[in-house]
Amino acid sequence: MKKIVLLLLSSLILWGCSDSGPSGSETEDFDRQAILENWADNIILPAFESFAAETENLKTAANEFSATPNEQTLTDLREQWLISYKSWQHVSMFEMGRAMDLRYRDNMNLYPVNSDQILENIEEGSYNFELPSQNSSQGFPALDYMLYGLGEDDASVLEFYTIDENSEAHRTYVSDLATRIDSLTGQVLEFWQNGFRDEFVNDSGNGANSSLNMMVNDYIFYYEKALRAGKIGIPAGVFSGSPLSDRVEGFYSRDFSKELFMEALDASQNFFNGTHFGSEQNGESLRSYLEFLETTKNGESLAVLINGQFENARQEAENLNSNLAEQVETNNTQMLTTYDRLQQNVVFLKVDMLQALNISVDYVDADGD
Amino acid sequence: MDLKKLFLPILLVATAISCDVSDSDSDTDLETPATYEFTRNGESTVSFTGQTARIRMAMELNDAMMDFDNSTEELLLQMYRNQTADGGDANPFSESSLNEETKSVKEKVAASLDYFSSNTAVSAQIKSDFEVWISGQVNEVFPNENVLAEPGVAGQLADGATARFVNAKGLEYDQMVAKGLNGALMADQMLNNYLSVSVLDAGTNREDNDNGVLVDGTNYTTMEHKWDEAYGYVFGNAANTANPLPNLGEADDFLNKYLGRLIGDSDFEAIPQEIFDAFALGRAAIVAGEYEVRDQQAQIIREKISEMIAIRAVYYLQSGKNALGQESPDYGGAFHDLSEGFGFIYSLQFTRVPNTDQPYLTREEVEGFINQLTEGNGLWDIPLETLDQMSNEIASKFDFTVEEAAN
Repeated sequence: MKKIVLLLLSSLILWGCSDSGPSGSETEDFDRQAILENWADNIILPAFESFAAETENLKTAANEFSATPNEQTLTDLREQWLISYKSWQHVSMFEMGRAMDLRYRDNMNLYPVNSDQILENIEEGSYNFELPSQNSSQGFPALDYMLYGLGEDDASVLEFYTIDENSEAHRTYVSDLATRIDSLTGQVLEFWQNGFRDEFVNDSGNGANSSLNMMVNDYIFYYEKALRAGKIGIPAGVFSGSPLSDRVEGFYSRDFSKELFMEALDASQNFFNGTHFGSEQNGESLRSYLEFLETTKNGESLAVLINGQFENARQEAENLNSNLAEQVETNNTQMLTTYDRLQQNVVFLKVDMLQALNISVDYVDADGD
Repeated sequence: MDLKKLFLPILLVATAISCDVSDSDSDTDLETPATYEFTRNGESTVSFTGQTARIRMAMELNDAMMDFDNSTEELLLQMYRNQTADGGDANPFSESSLNEETKSVKEKVAASLDYFSSNTAVSAQIKSDFEVWISGQVNEVFPNENVLAEPGVAGQLADGATARFVNAKGLEYDQMVAKGLNGALMADQMLNNYLSVSVLDAGTNREDNDNGVLVDGTNYTTMEHKWDEAYGYVFGNAANTANPLPNLGEADDFLNKYLGRLIGDSDFEAIPQEIFDAFALGRAAIVAGEYEVRDQQAQIIREKISEMIAIRAVYYLQSGKNALGQESPDYGGAFHDLSEGFGFIYSLQFTRVPNTDQPYLTREEVEGFINQLTEGNGLWDIPLETLDQMSNEIASKFDFTVEEAAN
């Protein structure tokens, strides 16, 4: 609540001292449905279809590894895990409808993993992945641990699936993890395909619960919490005072944390620009909405500013070590600078853009206990 | 907020004036000490070890309530009582010095002189409420550790990425105990016992204090010690007990923590300093033998600690209402808030209106709220209007609005 008050206050201040006020066009005049159609048909559904195909491949690779654990099947599974994990970065932000009910993101990608819980699950041989207490023992981070974190090198990892006295339980766990990822994804995709697409597109008003308002809130929440804080800020110690290298995404595989972040950054910018999934073509979007309203800040187009800031963050992040855990341990300043660049866009998106679009923030930070 | 800021200096001036006027037989101009340090013959006279110990016992109990793998009903009850079921010596704590104590949390729950010395039936009922909640955690919630909660079924619920463990009515017993102790143990002992004239001036305390008669084997007078014991229930576990405000909120899970939550809240951020200053000035007044000044400070502490508890109660009621009022209700988040709110509401019966013998909300009023929260399936079907009604009713007894408390 305080955040909202602050926000309102800062918006007022910004409004007072810059020229980002209402311009010629009114928010009512814009065809919101065209944005919703572009989002649903050219971004969300294709991204989920693509991701669902990858999670099915992941399930297949996991089953093959479980049936015949060896150097080759392990390599195949790792490769498919990374492909799927990158594909995930394109759907993670769409936490609405069925995905919200399932708490999809928390089930798919909550890290750091709880490795003790994973080992306990394997030991006991029974576990209910639907329980909130099992969030951090499943999903991509759990596979990261199972495929890279069990041993020092490939040979010692493989031993857990071959000669370990509990090898069968380990194999089952890997299969179960992939099956769960695939099944949750299937449910979300099916939900969009069976009715929700139309419901989403047709709810084109501008009330607090309208599709556009909800989606924009989900998007900014994702950008702020999952992308800015989760992937960069928390490991860099922005919220704790000192770096926490074990909080990076893909901690055990070591080499992919930057790659996963870059993928998510692209996905975030693409969504802003309405870029069709898997193509360069742009459609109706937050960007075109801002352009229609001719929203400016300090004399510059807000849409241009936002894209410029995405680019700034990307350029800064290019310099990061591919292993962000190593980055925060060796030169955390680079990581903090990347964070600062990302943070600047929180202001543009959450304050300036929301004010221009006349949308209220619908989430607040919990009080932390 | 602005009004309050204007009002404060006026209040301070008024206080200062009234001291001078009333203090006819002393020409001391007492200044508020910047730190809580008092000495006699070069040695400190400040002592509140019993309060520190009870805070630490209660913190261990809090943690143990959520230790599904190791806690038993017997262990948790021993932590509450620091005794075995048949009254024998118990060693339930991980901190060995706590095991050596004969003190316990339970003995000081609902045990103030002003409220409970001739109200032992109610005192016993309150002491037993905590035991019921502790036992409920082990007997109802622990067995359902791996069950998804639903109306009428204990188990876990998602609150963001955290799992919350609730009883069949959606309430977290651990929160009820932890937040309830703010009132039943800490506030009651402080406001209705140690800061009371009936305790401070009991027996020959005034005479002894005037003549510097010390408690055997110590460096303090009884009156000094009583005042310190009140101080100990809010600052007694601080890293720096003489200057606790810079680290306010870090000392415990109770009054200190929630006083810390007022920092940065523009509506209430002056309260921690006001409470500290009242403690420091009151203690200096005892040293100077200026008992009216002392009692004025006691009234300030009563008002501010009571207000803080009420602010938290309303804050959690409103947070819970907002979480339930969403298009898809966040049950886990809401029930966690409302369980904390339950504890703070329960604590309201131990508050104290300055210059009276009354709490801001009576036990009957508190019980009315609790009944509403626990009726039927409890939090699962609590109407949002009820949460608003409770918030309004609580705020109406104090000098703040629901909106100020909610943000």
